[in-house]
Order: sequence, then C-alpha cells, then structure tokens
Amino acid sequence: MTTLLAQAKIEGPEIDWAGLSPLIALIGGSVIVLLLGLFRARPVREHLVPFVALAAIGAALGLTIWQWGENVDLIRGAMRLDDLTLALTGLFCAAGIATVLLSWRHIAPRESAHGEFYSLLLASLAGMVVLVGATDLITLFLGLELLSIPLYVLCATEMRREGALESGLKYLIIGSVGSATLLFGTAFIYGAAGSTNFAEIAAAIADEGISDSALLLTGVGLAVIGLAFKASVAPFHQWTPDVYEGAPTPVTAFMAVATKVAAIGITLRLFDVALIGVSDVWQPAIAILAAITIIVGNVGALGQSSLKRMLAYSGVAQAGYLLAGVVVASQAGVEAAVFYLAAYTVMNLAAFAVIVARQAQRPDGDDIGALRGLGTERPLLAWPLTLAMLGLAGFPLTAGFIGKFALIQASVEGDYTWLGVMIVIGSMISLGYYLKVVATMWMTSSPEPGEAKPAGIAPGPPVMAGGSPEADDARAPWEVVLVGGVFGLLILAIGVYPQPLFDLAQDAAASLSGLL
Amino acid sequence: MSTVETFTWLALLLPLAGAVINGVGFRVWKGKTAGVIGTFFLFAAFACAVVAAIKLKSLPHEAQHATSVAWDYAATLGIDAQLSLLIDPLALYMTLVVTGVSALIHLYSVAYMTSDEGYVRFFAYLNFFVFSMLVLVLAGNFLILIVGWAFVGAASYMLISFWYRRTTATNAGIKAFVINVLGDVGLVLGTYFIFKGTGSLDFLTTFKEIEEGAAFATENDGDLVAGCLLLLVGAFAKSAQVPLHTWLPDAMEGPTPVSSLIHAATMVTAGVYLIARMWPLFEQAPAAANVGAIIGCATLFIAATIALTQTDLKRVIAYSTMSQIGYMVMAVCSGAYVAGLFHLMTHAFFKALLFMAAGSIIAAMANVQNLDKMGGFRRSMPFTYGCFIVGGLALSGIPPFSGFFSKDEILAYTAARGDWHVALAVIGYVAAFMTAVYTFRLIFRAFWGDPVKEAQELEAGHMAHGEHVNPANGEPEDTHVGFPGPEHHIAERAPEMKGAMGVLAVLATIAGVLQIPFVTHWVDTFLEPTFEGSFYFEDLHPSDSLTIAGMVIGASLGLAGIALAYRLWVQKPGTTAALIERFRPLYSLSFHKWWFDELIDAIIVRPAAWVGRVCDQQVERILINGVLTGGTTGLVKSASAAVRGVQSGFLRYYAAAFALGTVAVTFYFLVA
Repeated sequence: MTTLLAQAKIEGPEIDWAGLSPLIALIGGSVIVLLLGLFRARPVREHLVPFVALAAIGAALGLTIWQWGENVDLIRGAMRLDDLTLALTGLFCAAGIATVLLSWRHIAPRESAHGEFYSLLLASLAGMVVLVGATDLITLFLGLELLSIPLYVLCATEMRREGALESGLKYLIIGSVGSATLLFGTAFIYGAAGSTNFAEIAAAIADEGISDSALLLTGVGLAVIGLAFKASVAPFHQWTPDVYEGAPTPVTAFMAVATKVAAIGITLRLFDVALIGVSDVWQPAIAILAAITIIVGNVGALGQSSLKRMLAYSGVAQAGYLLAGVVVASQAGVEAAVFYLAAYTVMNLAAFAVIVARQAQRPDGDDIGALRGLGTERPLLAWPLTLAMLGLAGFPLTAGFIGKFALIQASVEGDYTWLGVMIVIGSMISLGYYLKVVATMWMTSSPEPGEAKPAGIAPGPPVMAGGSPEADDARAPWEVVLVGGVFGLLILAIGVYPQPLFDLAQDAAASLSGLL
Repeated sequence: MSTVETFTWLALLLPLAGAVINGVGFRVWKGKTAGVIGTFFLFAAFACAVVAAIKLKSLPHEAQHATSVAWDYAATLGIDAQLSLLIDPLALYMTLVVTGVSALIHLYSVAYMTSDEGYVRFFAYLNFFVFSMLVLVLAGNFLILIVGWAFVGAASYMLISFWYRRTTATNAGIKAFVINVLGDVGLVLGTYFIFKGTGSLDFLTTFKEIEEGAAFATENDGDLVAGCLLLLVGAFAKSAQVPLHTWLPDAMEGPTPVSSLIHAATMVTAGVYLIARMWPLFEQAPAAANVGAIIGCATLFIAATIALTQTDLKRVIAYSTMSQIGYMVMAVCSGAYVAGLFHLMTHAFFKALLFMAAGSIIAAMANVQNLDKMGGFRRSMPFTYGCFIVGGLALSGIPPFSGFFSKDEILAYTAARGDWHVALAVIGYVAAFMTAVYTFRLIFRAFWGDPVKEAQELEAGHMAHGEHVNPANGEPEDTHVGFPGPEHHIAERAPEMKGAMGVLAVLATIAGVLQIPFVTHWVDTFLEPTFEGSFYFEDLHPSDSLTIAGMVIGASLGLAGIALAYRLWVQKPGTTAALIERFRPLYSLSFHKWWFDELIDAIIVRPAAWVGRVCDQQVERILINGVLTGGTTGLVKSASAAVRGVQSGFLRYYAAAFALGTVAVTFYFLVA
C-alpha cells in the first residue's frame, strides 16, 4: 500500500495562483474574519475584525492592480482574468472598503455578530469577482449564488428591526425566482449549443446555424430576465425599493453599487462574448427594457421622501442608462459602460455615506426632511451629497456628465440614437428629484428644535434602529464622513480630468473581442 | 512641460489661488490681510510672466508659438476641445500688461478700499477678474476664449455692482452685463462659422488651415466674413465701440480701482486683442476688417466729442477710454497690429494713472465726482496733480510722453494704407486735437482756479466728509455699503497709492522709448513671431516723410489743444458759456451723448420690453405654463403615481409582475 502510494504520481492540475490571487485574498479573508469573530473580547470583535476585512479587501485591490494587463484563462477556461474582470474587481474592492468603513460603528454588525457580518460581506465580494470573470455558464451561476446568498442574510442583519427582516425575506424569495429563471435559461442555452463554455457557445451559434432555434432563444430570453433582475431592470425591479429601504444602510450601499456592477459586468460578457451571434435578436429586447427602466426608475423616484427609496429608483434608472452600453455591443459601448459603472460607484457611495452619517445623528436620517439646513450646519456632509446628486443628474464637471456623454455617444454610434434620446429625457426627469435634495440642503433652514414635524413625512425608523432622539447632535463617525468626502472629491476629479479613467475603461473594453 | 509653459501656467493660476483664498476665507481675513494676499499673488503672477517672456524670447524663432495642453476635455465627435493655452509673444505681451497693471492697481486698492465693508469680497472679485482676463488672453482655442470672455464679463458685472445697495450701481451692472452677453453671443456664433469652415477649435490649427488655403481659400468667403463680423460684435461689446458702448460710462458706478483696471487698462482692450489674435482671419476677410476700421474711427470721433462737455470727472475719462480704444481698433483692423498693441500698453499705463489720480480727487471730495464742484486742488494735492499732468500729457500725445509715440504710429500706419484709410487718419488727428482739449479741461477745472471748500480743508490738514447720499442720484444710503465710509484715502497720504501711481507715472512717461520711429523697434521685434506671414505686418510701413509729418502734426495739434483749453478755462473762464449759446445744437449733441441711450431705449429696450410683456402674459402663462409644462409635468406626475401605486409592498404582486414580464420577454424572443 505504502509503495503503491509512493509510486503513484499525483498530478495536480495546473493552478495559476497569481491569476486567482485576488479571489484567494477575499475568500481567505472571509474565513479568517469568521474565525476571529469567535473571540469574545470587544476590541477584537469591534475593531480587529473590520480591520482584517479591510486588509483582505485592500490586499485583493493590490493584487488586482498587480495583475493589470494580464489576460489569462483560469481553471481550464471556467473563468477569465482580463482587464474587464480586473477593472470591475477594482470597483468591487472600492465598494467593499467603503462598506466596511460605513459599517464600522453601525448597529448591523453589532446585532448580528461582527465575524459573520464581515465574513458574509467578503464572501459576497468573492462571488462578484467569480461572476464577472465567468466564461462558463456554470461559473456564472456559481458566482451569482455566491454573491446573492450572503446578501440575503446581510439584508436581515439588523435582526430586531422588522423592516430589515422583511427586506431580507423579500429579497430571498424574489431573488430565488430570479436565480431559478437564470438557471433555466442557461440550461436551455446549454441544450441548444451543447456546451457551457462562452467561447464554444459563440462558436456553436456561428457555425451550427442555431441562431433561430427556439431552445436557444428561450434560453437567451430567460437569461436576460435573470440578469435584469439582479441589475434591477424594470419590470423586474420591484424588489429594489423595498429591499433598499429595509436593509441596513451600509448593506444597501453595497448592494446598490457592487451588485449592479457585477450584474452589468456579467451581462456585458455573456451577451457580448457568448451570445454575440444572436445580437440582432437580443439588442432590441434589451434596448426596450432599458427604455422602460429609464422611465420607470425616474418617474418612480419623484415624490419619494425616503432617500434610500429615492436612490433605489435612481439606481433603477441608472441601470437603464448602463444597458445602453450593453445594447450597442461595441467597443465604445463596453468602454462607456465601464466608465459609467465607475462613476456610478463613486457617486452612490458618496450619497450613501452621507445618509449613514445622517442616520447616526438622528433617527429619521433617511428622510429628506433630515437634510434641511444641512448646507449651513454641516457643509462636510452637504457637499458630498450635493456633488453626488449633481453627478447622478449628469451636471457638467462631474463624473456623471462625462459618463452619460460617453453612453449617449456609444448609443448614437451604435445606431440606437433613440435610446440616447431616452437617456436625455430620463436625465431631464431625474432633475426633479436630484435637485430637490440639493435645494433642501442649501435653501431651507433646519427646523427649530421645538417645531413640529411637517405633515406628510413618514416617521423615522424606531429608536432601536438609529439611536435616540437625544443623539441629534451626535457627531457622525469620522470614517463615514471620510468616505463621503473622498468619493465626493472623486466625482469632481473624474469630471474635470476624465482621461485616466477613460484609458482604463478602454483597456477593459479591449479585452472583449469580436464585438460589433 | 517646458519652463515657459510652467511659468505661464503659474501666472495664470496664481490670481485664481488668490481669488479662492480670499473668497473662502472672507470671514477670517481681518484688516488689510486680504489686500496683501491679493496683491502678493498678483506680483508673483507678474514675476512669473516676466520669466516666461524672457525664456520664450530665448527660444528659436519658430518655437515661439506653441500650444500647451493640460488635458483633452472632449476630443470626440469631431470636436477638439482641449484645456490648452496658446503661448506666443502676443499672449505673453498681454499677460505682462494685464498682470503688471493689475498688480499696481491691487496695491493702490489696498489703501483706497480700506474703509469699505466689502474689503475681502473686493479683492476676491478683483483676483478673479485677473484670472479671467488671463484665461482670455492665454486661451489656446475658441472654447477657452469663450470661457474667458464670459468670465471677464461676469467679473466686470460683479465689480460694477460692487456697492449693491445703490440702485444706480446695480442698474449699471445689469446694463453692462446685457450688452456684454450680446457680445458673447456674437463671439459664440462667430466661432461657429469659423469652426464650420475649419473643423477645428484650436487657434494654431485654424490659422494654419487658412494660411495653407485648406479652409476659406477664397478671399471674403461668405462664411468667413460672417464669422469675422460676429467676432467683431463680441469685440465691440467688450471694447465699448459704437453702438455697443453705452454701458462703459455707466460702469463708472463701480469703485475707482475697478474703473482703472477693468474699464480702462485691461478688459475693454480685449476686443483689440481679439482682432489682433485673429489676424489671419481678418486678412482673409478684408470686408470685415474694413467694417471694424470704420467703426473704430467713428467711435474715436464720437467719444471725443462727448468727452468735451461731460461734467462727471470719471465719465470724461471713460469717454476718453472709448475714444482711445477706437484708435486701437482702427489700427488693428487696418493692419497696424503692432501700433495698436503698443497703444494698448501705453494707454493701460496712462489711463490707469489718470483714474487713480481721479480716485484721489474723488476721495478728497468725499465721493463727489461732479467737475462743477471741483477746483483749486493744485496746492493741496501736488502729487496727484503731478500724476494727472503726466497722464494728461501722455493722453494728449505730447512728446516725449508715451502716448505721443503710440498714437502717432497708429495714425501714420493708417494713413500709409492709402485710399479711404487716409480719411480715417485725418479724423484721427481731429479727435487727437479734441483729446488734448478735454483732457486739459479736466486739469484746469479740477486743479486750477480758486480752491473749493474741500481743497481748503485739505490744505488745513482735514479731510472732507460728505453726506450719506448716493452722489449719482441723491438717494440716501447707509454707511455700511459704499465708499468712503468713516475714513478715506488720498494719494498724498497713503504710501500704497502713492507707490502705485509713481510707478505708473514713470511708465507713462518713458514707455515710448520702446518704439521710437527710426530708433527702436522693441515691440516690433517682440511680437514678430506672432505676426509672421502677415501681409500688413511685413509690407505696411509709412514712408519716412509721412512718419515725420505725422509726428509734427500730432505734437502741434496736441499743443494747440492745450493752448485752447488754457484760453477757455484759465484765461477767459466765461467764454465757454458764450460758445454754448452760439453752438447750441452741437452742444446738445455732445452733452446728450449723441442720444445713443435714448435711441437704444426707443428702438430696442422698449420694443423688447413690450414683446417680453406680451410673451409673459399670453404665451408664457397660457401656452407654455398651462399646456406644455403643465401637460408634461402632469404626465410625469401621473406616471409617478402609477409606479408608486404598483409598488404595493406585497410579494405576491411582485411575483405576478415578474411572471408577466417573463412571459412578455420570452414571447418576444420566440416570436422574433
């Protein structure tokens, strides 16, 4: 027996450790954080755990930068590490770092145990990296579930608040339907193409003339729906406002940003690589979905008094803009989409940081009324939110303007001028709610302490969720203000000097070949 | 980035830094700190401009015009919008003039504005103005030029209305802004026509294409002439040329350093700079250049006649500014680029000096600007008097003061063009005679004669304190806003003001040596790389006899004017009244400023206001507000209500919507 073992040559598979390193950092970090959470000492739980999580994400970011320019297949073609994967991983890491900072002194990790909270966060991040790198339907599904399941739990981490539990449950049920639809779709695609690998699917569509097979097209349709769900594209968006509003705000920020990046990222890869052969079928479908999304998101956001709900609808609308980059299936489209994803990440993180800070200060921090007089009283909070709102609305000199410009240009060049027009109309409507926030901050004064609350504003979450009314003058945690400030400045920096980000987006777009 | 570029960018950005520091810290800076900050940044910018100019001239000839690109803003869709500066001798020449004169005027303001409540705000605005002006003169493409052009207009508006509680000041600001925006529109449309032909916003590319015949190959091409005429509209509005000049005299409502810096030395010469910068365009479109020359000539004559009879000290100098800019516009439109730009510089020196001296008198008069109430300041303010004399002699074109050389160069070159340009030169000489008359009218009436009450008090060592009323219309006003506040400054007592005026007086005296006919050609040599390839720059030169004749005529006309003024206002003070009676219509024409204000009011302002009222009451309220806006917002609002209505919060409805969506999408894919 011993000799037999000694004689047997165990040939391990070739593993590209370097290529997998960002992923390993995240998964390893997840495990370490979970184990660290077992220690009972408060400093370990409350400070060491988030610090290690931060370190893990930082390591992943560093490794991502180190790997920049590599274009290799990993795990026998199940994943691909190229500049698109790396660029999006960079965005995930930025979102992850911001989320850790926002959660540091938030109530959610305290309620649910720190180890578990950050471990789930890291696992979800790992899932996103897997998802955007997927070049195989199986990997795609694996990544999607790895990103979703921790999020279902994270939504409910404020365990003693009804809204959080409701949010987690809703997300779980509707999310499962979405996942099931996607799985169904991938099965159909496999059935038609005979392979789960993106490249082989593309080859099958090109060579075997299955581009009008009902099996394939049904599969494509169901895949569109599954991914549309994740990216909160109308009419599959309805979970978004409820879940965003109920979830702990740092988690909402993470979902709003990272999930959207991941969903749009894999949509780009799936449709622009594997399904490029049937582009003339899915292009109009996604274009129409994009148009519906832009309208629904923008008109839905009007008249919301909860900032998180408003940002949820705004996120829906922004997903519609982003789909324009997918629709045209061109180099310019991918470039514009990646650029806008980066801008979107920066703008939303700045906005959510301000909401988190405001919620730490007063129980109704999520309400637009909480912003009254913010401009004169707390300019450090008002400026990032102002820049974020102007950026999301697409004002010149902000990141959002350049990003939208690129998307519209890509649409026009890709013969989808009407979609570009839709983006403009959507932006026009969006001013109605973005500017309302800006106006509330700068053009109204804060109510006197004794003044009754204006009618029509929903009462804030229960005391348990955000602190007591006496905490009104509490100082916002400095790390939250820092997140807002840094991302607020980035909005401006990208808007004034967009070229470096353009170059990055161009590299990322160049890693997809065979586009229209 | 080469040394030249680095220092040019520094010269551009230092005033911005000053504006930001003063603007952000307006609650922090106490006393004269803001003034010191602003002045320091301006002197630093001037030093950088000097270094850049010296380094530039040490480069080989062809390397002396280059575009320095900070970054591409939008290099897409056939647009080449870059954040770029064009660094060449002309740009640096303007930079030197702007930063140099501005630095001195900042220094002057440190003392002049001390007692004003808005001290910090004043310096923040003033620094911002200098930054905008530098953007304008350093712009490397039309886009940046338009930005600088508009910024300058905004800065001018803010500074004219600086004493915002005076209705006269706010009205003057609005008037200036409206007319300047008209000019902005002209500039933008002109840019469009030029861009249409060349496909480039970049200056050097545009010039190259025109030079090589790649665009606008035929002379007087329709689009090019239209473009150039529209550029001229922009230039006329900014440079207060007829008929877009009416804002400039009103702009004298601003603080005197503002009149000195913006409405005499720098901003109003932007039009001259623009025409000189665009010489390849104007040489290819001589029709437009001729229009410019004629308008410039008309302005210089009309403004000189008006200046003869006005009684407001600053307004007389303002009309004189218009008239002098008319000379410059006529010069650059006639191909005498160097002469026009040389006059731009000397004029900046002596006109800034005149305004500063006027500010000193106005302070001594406790804010009264009416010439009728002044007199006899000669003994009480000898320094101011000396400066006024130097400035006046330079303005009247008396040798060897700087204005003599620059004005005569303009007239000689214009005459050398021959044909009808000779007529322009003759009118120029007539106006030069009037210039000497009105300039010395000011001097004799303000400084000679019996000392008025204020002058007597000053001799006794006190400063006059006026009523708290707006001198322009007699409205009472509080002491918080508006000069002079509790204490005020005159050049005789404030070392900062004295220093700034002293330097300018020296410059106004000796700047002529840069360009003495037959002797020195320094301005020519400095600017040569910019005008390389220009037909007029290389071939237009007055003959020796013409030059000498011009100088003799110019000098004797100036002296004759002074003599006439001396006779009218010193020897026989009553003569003017008799003259007014004899030439009543002519006097009215001049005194009522040729009725330009009334004319514009009748044919533009009133009809426009009427149209505005009709649009507001009929079109806006019923059609726009009711139907268009109301309909659209109603649609959006109801859609919003619908979306929120569907959002019931119940999972079963969401699942149903999901299922419906799935069916719809799948159906599409199967049918397609």
